Amino acid sequence: MHDQPLPVRHSCVDETLFRLQGLAYRYPDETLALSDIHLDIAPGDRIALVGQNGSGKTTLIKHLCGLLRPTAGQVQYKKHGFSEDYLERCRLEIGLLFQDPDDQLFGHTLLEDAAFGPRQQGLTQPDAEVAARQALQQVGLSEMAFKAPHNLSFGQKKRAALAGLLAMQPEVLLLDEPTANLDPHQEQVFLDLLSGFAGTLICISHDLIFLYDLCDRAVVLDQGRIEHDYTMRELVSHRQALREHGLDFSFRLVADIPPDEPALPSFEISGDTPAVAAEPDQPSLVDLRRYTYRYPDGTMALCDVALAFQAGERMAIVGENGAGKTTLLSCLLGLRHGQGKFLFDGRPVTRRRRKTLWRQVGMVFQDNADQLFCPSVREEIAFGLHQLGYAPSEVRQRVAEALSLVHLEGFEDRVPLHMSGGERKRLSLACVLAMQPKLLILDEPTAGLDPRGEELLLSILRQLDVTLLLVSHDMFFVGELTRRTLVMHLGRILEDAPTHVFLQDERLGNLNGLAYAYRQRSGRAIQALQHEHEHDHAHRHLHDHSHRHGESTHEHLHEHEHRHPHRFMHSHPGEEEPTHDHRPLRFHDHEHPDHDADHEHPH
Amino acid sequence: MPEPHSIALPLWQLPVLVFVPLSVLVALGIGLHRFVRRRSAPGEERDWSVPPLAYGAGTSPLHRWDVRCKIVTILVYSFMIVSLAHLTPALAAVAVSLLVLVVARASLVKVLMRLLAITGFVGMFFVVMPLTAPVHPGDTVVIFGGLKWLGFNLRGLQLAATIAAKAVAITLLMEPLLSTAPLPVTLHGLSRLGAPEIIGQMVLLSYRYLHVFRHEARRMSSGMRVRGFRKRTDLQTLRAVANFLGMLFVRSFERTERVFDAMRARGYRGRFPEPDAPPMTAKDLVLAAVWLLVGTALVAGDRITW
Repeated sequence: MHDQPLPVRHSCVDETLFRLQGLAYRYPDETLALSDIHLDIAPGDRIALVGQNGSGKTTLIKHLCGLLRPTAGQVQYKKHGFSEDYLERCRLEIGLLFQDPDDQLFGHTLLEDAAFGPRQQGLTQPDAEVAARQALQQVGLSEMAFKAPHNLSFGQKKRAALAGLLAMQPEVLLLDEPTANLDPHQEQVFLDLLSGFAGTLICISHDLIFLYDLCDRAVVLDQGRIEHDYTMRELVSHRQALREHGLDFSFRLVADIPPDEPALPSFEISGDTPAVAAEPDQPSLVDLRRYTYRYPDGTMALCDVALAFQAGERMAIVGENGAGKTTLLSCLLGLRHGQGKFLFDGRPVTRRRRKTLWRQVGMVFQDNADQLFCPSVREEIAFGLHQLGYAPSEVRQRVAEALSLVHLEGFEDRVPLHMSGGERKRLSLACVLAMQPKLLILDEPTAGLDPRGEELLLSILRQLDVTLLLVSHDMFFVGELTRRTLVMHLGRILEDAPTHVFLQDERLGNLNGLAYAYRQRSGRAIQALQHEHEHDHAHRHLHDHSHRHGESTHEHLHEHEHRHPHRFMHSHPGEEEPTHDHRPLRFHDHEHPDHDADHEHPH
Repeated sequence: MPEPHSIALPLWQLPVLVFVPLSVLVALGIGLHRFVRRRSAPGEERDWSVPPLAYGAGTSPLHRWDVRCKIVTILVYSFMIVSLAHLTPALAAVAVSLLVLVVARASLVKVLMRLLAITGFVGMFFVVMPLTAPVHPGDTVVIFGGLKWLGFNLRGLQLAATIAAKAVAITLLMEPLLSTAPLPVTLHGLSRLGAPEIIGQMVLLSYRYLHVFRHEARRMSSGMRVRGFRKRTDLQTLRAVANFLGMLFVRSFERTERVFDAMRARGYRGRFPEPDAPPMTAKDLVLAAVWLLVGTALVAGDRITW
């Protein structure tokens, strides 16, 4: 049992920008996506819309800009329902940022794309271009105004998509996972841009640390219903509520990187002397020296890379978007072939051997959709095993083992396309693990996962006894899963250090724009909000229990105030030195011995 | 009626006279391809804050030409070239196209890339037509080693050369047509000429999302290859490819819906904003008339002189 929803304190209680009354929505296949949604949003609200994958968040914000029409109930914007004409006008005031920027960048150049909205608002071409240029300048892309969207990096595309909305000077911004798959530097850029936005902001994200910095109100959706609507501080301070809705990210806060290893010196990297963290006698599983790769168009992707690691090592590669991490992985998988020395398991990787590297190296892709294409889970896992030439009985056994390893027992006949993001990620992992690779590569394994999915994935990965190469922007996962970290920048390996040294060294963290400062700051603030210990304070209760009034014994819901010590999680907002002067602000549930004794209360 | 003229050559000269030139042509194509790749490699990043057609090459008469005049003129002129029946006027048309390229200051690499795209198609004519053209009176046929069924008809070769010259002349004009104005401006010009606006929008969106589609297909293909998939001639391959195509279709379909949603969310009401276009001037019409006169002269020359 956790706290019941309380009415939220609106920033402007007299005005309502959006009013959702009894909103319900069914997909064309009759699946119920939203039901009984009642929500008032005031101008200037900054709302975090949170919930597990599939809880109805994206469906809800699509209603707020009229892309979906409710099956029941209604949506009002500025006190009017979305009639056809009114909706067209409203859309010019409401900006919706999609999760995948390629969905949104349909213009021929960035300038043309950013000017699209202002042109629809009725501006002339020169005026629209001025607005577009200003927006591009805001997001730091004015130097690329005439570049085609497909020639941008992912982070640049995300910012360009935001510029397209900012150029319209919207009153409302609806953001769907604005920072998913961004490196920390780009994430910080987004945070700065959105923090400066003066209008109403509604943001969907699984990243509660990011939301904590950005929003002041939190709406929790669960299975298409609003479960909670309270302040952001209240949301993050209630671990039990977070846990019940699959949002508990606190596991990220409690585990600091254990300095359980000797502080190895970081390695100076040069092209022909790769750093090896473990015993030098043992042959390396992978050994790259002076390895260089150019794209067919001549762009240098990897330059003079030196890298060696041994069987059983767990290593991370970090770096900004476009640093060359994915290209390096492609080379390790044999998908690309560069110049230089490449030994796998002590033997040179020749042209012929490159074609068989897949037998020993497995990779879980960043986007599950790139890896899953079969009509059933069973076929999906068996695909690689068939290529390896296993007998049907062996295939069956390995499929069962792999599913058990990732906690997907009983999913054999499910369609991968219809599974949730977390399940698909674990299925991708199962597909690779079934092939028992010598080297397991994970490319951004936490991208798009909700906290529950992340925690489950983490527990699975911790148990694996395999040589691991992790590419991630998620420093928590890097710290938890690896013991050695490489920092890449512009196709080069800049540093090679023990992970705990890397995570504690601000110089390394900031080496290539990987700024984690705000995450650490917010993490500490949230930890302070979540602290738990015993208190003795007067507080109010709303509960039912059997009790006596003189001679009669009965049971009913009633409220009363009393004082007794109990243990609960609470916060000390705004206090440098907590005074523990707790006001009876909240209802909280705990044991109340002696409640069946005589006590007086109004009936 | 003059009889066909036969030239008998020993069989060993067949590879020397037919396959060696063809091999040279193929080698030339490969060399061209490598040259294009090397030249198209980016050096320093260009300044993307200014329009690509703003300075330098972007100030030629073709860049300033009204886009409607340009489309109509090049289209009509292309039909004129297609109607040519003889090699000499076709070669003259190639010369005219080269002149236009110089005036338009077109990118050599892009022009070569377009030529490369048609080399396979044109090369096929050079192989097939000399061997299959019916022998007419007056034709010269080279017969190797007495194999009459392997007659190499020089008239067929000339026909292939004429077709190739016409194809090259028209292909060379595609660069001045498409690269002297931004694609949206060209498509808007097309719709101002009466083409349905929706076609222009579809072309524009297709051009944009072709790259996204290509990247998705490549990533999915990599996903299959790292799990051991290699194309073979068996049922398993067929099933895997069918799954791949099906998934690609599903992803593309879903993206189409999301793109349309994104467009509607930004106020799209069935029309893309029209780019500002300066009005047509007398200069534009004069240039069109001069160009069409050249085309007419080529057609007349083709009909009268040869």
